[in-house]
Amino acid sequence: MTAQMFFIGFFGISAIWFGVVVFRTFSMVRSALALLFSQTALGAMFLAMQAEFLGVLQIMMMATEMSIMAIFMVMFMMDPGGMGTMDMTHQKRLSLWAGFVSFVGGVAIAVFVDWGPIAAIAPDAAQQTIDLGLEILGRSMLIFEMAGLTILTAMIAATAISIPELKGKQQ
Amino acid sequence: MSIELILALTTGAALFGVGIYGALSQTNLVMIMMGVELILAGAMVNLVAFWRFLHPDTAAGQMFVLIVMTVMAIEMAVGFGVAIARFRSRGSVEMEEAVELKG
Repeated sequence: MTAQMFFIGFFGISAIWFGVVVFRTFSMVRSALALLFSQTALGAMFLAMQAEFLGVLQIMMMATEMSIMAIFMVMFMMDPGGMGTMDMTHQKRLSLWAGFVSFVGGVAIAVFVDWGPIAAIAPDAAQQTIDLGLEILGRSMLIFEMAGLTILTAMIAATAISIPELKGKQQ
Repeated sequence: MSIELILALTTGAALFGVGIYGALSQTNLVMIMMGVELILAGAMVNLVAFWRFLHPDTAAGQMFVLIVMTVMAIEMAVGFGVAIARFRSRGSVEMEEAVELKG
């Protein structure tokens, strides 16, 4: 067993475990923190797969995103601390089956598809960043610009639908 | 066949499955968004694994991961916008109470 295999497996199991904890706990703050740990484990898994830039980006972005999510959870939930052990689920059996079938289908594809030759080495971190920069400012520039524009549109849309409706005309 | 690739793809499939379960079973809008986040995280693991073990010489795989991260951010922004609007009008973000939106 190589070190890379060990760390991919370890962080992968951690990400799955914390992902399951998100829906197992009654406390919404714990749910948000479990999702944060799951996403951080994924970032560490990216680092184990030698994608340094994406790993660091994932950890930084998810730390911010999940902190905001935890605040919203406390704001919106009737029982954010989970003291009342209130059940907030529906169609559990259908959901379990859908999740299980998705998992089995994904594993079957992973195991039975012939993925072709496996690359033994990846470019070093500096070369990866250069390649990604050239990709963003070259062939994928239009896609990247569209992503930026879409984020701007989403920010404006989110602000527009969340501001209170004005009662009557303001002079 | 690479064990590392299989491990990464299995992790992606498991996260996707857990996310599907969460998105379908939860009644709270914020919890449904958490399920969608896990689904997208599963897709991201697969993309990084494909880049690392199949095509490390091109950066298109990493570019695709950046797009998925963008989708995650957009989903959060719009989802919370909808949650605030819903909470302001009805005092709750329980989706069981939003059946009238079906029309």
